[in-house]
Amino acid sequence: MTGRTGRRSRRAEAASLVALVAKRDYVRTVRRRGFVFGTLLLPLSIAGFFFISSFASGELAPGGGGTDSGPRDFALLVANESDLTLAPSVLTPHVRLVERADGLARLGTGQADELYVVPDGYPTDATVLRFEATNSGFAIDALQRQAAQLRELGLLLQSALLATSDVPPETVARVMAPIGAISAQTTTGEPVGAGPSLGAFLLPFGFTMLFVLSIFITSGYLLQSVTEEKENRVVEIVLSSVPALPLMAGKIVGLGAAGLTQVIIWALSAVIAVPLLGDRLGDVSSVSLSPITLGLAMLYFALGYLAYGAMFSAVGALAPGSREAQQYAGVFGFAAVVPLIFAGVFLADPQSSLITALALIPFTTPATMLLVLTLTPEVPWLLVVASLVSLSVFTLVATVASARVFRATLLLYGVRPSVSQMISAVFARG
Amino acid sequence: MTVPMIEQPADPDTRSPDSPVVVVDGVWKRFGATDVVQGLSFEIRAGEILGFLGPNGAGKTTTMRMILDIIRPDAGSISVFGRPPGVEHRSRVGYLPEERGLYRDVPVLDTLTYFGALRGLSSAEARSRATRLLTEVGLGDDLRKKAVELSRGMHQKAQVIATVLHEPDLLIVDEPMQGLDPVNAEMLKGLLVAQRDRGAAVVMSTHDMADAQTLCDRILLIDGGRRLLYGSVKDIQSAFSDGAVEVRGSGVSVDAEHYRSVAHAAIADGGVRFLLRDGVPAQELFRELATDGAAVERFEVSAPTLNEIFLRTVAGDERASAVG
Repeated sequence: MTGRTGRRSRRAEAASLVALVAKRDYVRTVRRRGFVFGTLLLPLSIAGFFFISSFASGELAPGGGGTDSGPRDFALLVANESDLTLAPSVLTPHVRLVERADGLARLGTGQADELYVVPDGYPTDATVLRFEATNSGFAIDALQRQAAQLRELGLLLQSALLATSDVPPETVARVMAPIGAISAQTTTGEPVGAGPSLGAFLLPFGFTMLFVLSIFITSGYLLQSVTEEKENRVVEIVLSSVPALPLMAGKIVGLGAAGLTQVIIWALSAVIAVPLLGDRLGDVSSVSLSPITLGLAMLYFALGYLAYGAMFSAVGALAPGSREAQQYAGVFGFAAVVPLIFAGVFLADPQSSLITALALIPFTTPATMLLVLTLTPEVPWLLVVASLVSLSVFTLVATVASARVFRATLLLYGVRPSVSQMISAVFARG
Repeated sequence: MTVPMIEQPADPDTRSPDSPVVVVDGVWKRFGATDVVQGLSFEIRAGEILGFLGPNGAGKTTTMRMILDIIRPDAGSISVFGRPPGVEHRSRVGYLPEERGLYRDVPVLDTLTYFGALRGLSSAEARSRATRLLTEVGLGDDLRKKAVELSRGMHQKAQVIATVLHEPDLLIVDEPMQGLDPVNAEMLKGLLVAQRDRGAAVVMSTHDMADAQTLCDRILLIDGGRRLLYGSVKDIQSAFSDGAVEVRGSGVSVDAEHYRSVAHAAIADGGVRFLLRDGVPAQELFRELATDGAAVERFEVSAPTLNEIFLRTVAGDERASAVG
């Protein structure tokens, strides 16, 4: 057998072992109760939120819905019995003028929750009557709805009262809507689009949190897998069949696949849920979840996981026990969530130098770039490329160094290797 | 013009059946500032049990890990089945390490199936063999039990089975009897002999000299990473024979001065153990006993036990160089 054939045979053997270890660790992980629960928690939470909010409001659409007696009219029903002329406008879009008898009939059939009657004595007497259906939904929901109705009814009556004076209609319109604010650039004075709303920030923030969380959950499984084999004294039996590097590679691939499975299920849940829950979550129309964003997010997840996974497997190998391993890993964990501490900066100025620095420091790259990608309307390609290069180089170096530490320290039972031993292991050859 | 011959590593399939399974040649290994193994050389042959002896820290485990390619030597060479040790030998090698265990929260059958698959068996074959062997050692009703639910004895049986599941040609066992109850120890001894008898090469590291004497065909004694003794048990015992004679019977004096050929005498095992003067053959003592009218029931030139040899050698004995 020639040397080249021998090397090829070894590579094939090593590849088959990587696949074997990966398959075994993947199957074992996705069958864990904790994994199943953690993976389904997000979709179940979304579904729960959807049904609870629907049930609480008694509606299936915002402000409207159905009951046993048919669809409700969610309009603001107003019966005008005064001498004023009430004229609905764009400021009072929900107002429907009805006769009192008609409105009361709608209350009776459950088609409406409230009827407002402007009585004969108005405006001498400011009293406005409100008739309510017997079942007008949950108290908080009804109070919120009625507060909105009173605001709109107030605008209707104010404009009607102004119309009785000699004030020109355009002045009446300006009195009713005195401010039409718009943001402008400080230097040019040109108008700019509205900044992201709270809802449009919270969703990407949550999305980033989930990605970062998944990197750590998955790396945590890797840490657990390595420390478990070490503590159970299985690792030497395994190492006599699988060399250290294919063993580490198999674990990273298998558990990475498990993490990716989790992320894909979460991402699909988000993709399905955002349109369904859009109105309930507030203004999320500016959230950027394009295929490019999702693809880049997956890439950052994969690279982030590879870097952290390699480091965590080295931590698992060199730590004397699982408790110490968790403590060591926590240091890296803190570094990764630093960008989330600066959430306010992301909202105020996504192009700040702080964010650029966080994007280029490999430890904080994944979380930073996931936030940047979901918060900025256009992909900042320069920053994306620079951060990907930085993260890729770091991932490569971390993987090689971690693999050497993994190989050198895995068989040390109950012994904490010194820093010099670890440095020697990193620079060792062969 | 002659064409120069290029030496190629032997193909394992064309090697002679008498070729050593493992050849360790001048191997060195250093950890930090300590030379753990120093120029060690030896061979392991098919169909033998080689006892690997030495005090704690002698370098036995390190040497075994180098044969298994878990760690690499700093100098020297190792060949396994005619080639450098590597992943391609995994289906032919079995290993029972000193630090051993099972996945605690995994059914024992699944663990053994995984170990068998790592050794090159198909999952189905590994599961089938594991089921059969576990059943043979009385664990047939516990196949689906997690390791944490098994007794220590059951654990030990399962670990041993995991080592031989794939019928290895080279079996390396590090302190195999350590922690075993007597029943499992006997089972393991029987299994090691069975492996040798079917042609496998077995390397057994042990501190138990009685086991080594009973089981091993040859021994290798190392200390400080250096070879002290290497050879068949019989040859080594012969080399270390000190001329002691054990005599049982009536009329045998315990006084050394009673016999001209004796330097020292002591009561031992219901008889008398005589240490002869230098150069005096045992026949001379037999003649003196007969002349003295002693009724001798047993007269045996005793060889030192491996334990005695171990103690003498590790403490330093010039005779070690003759068989080292």
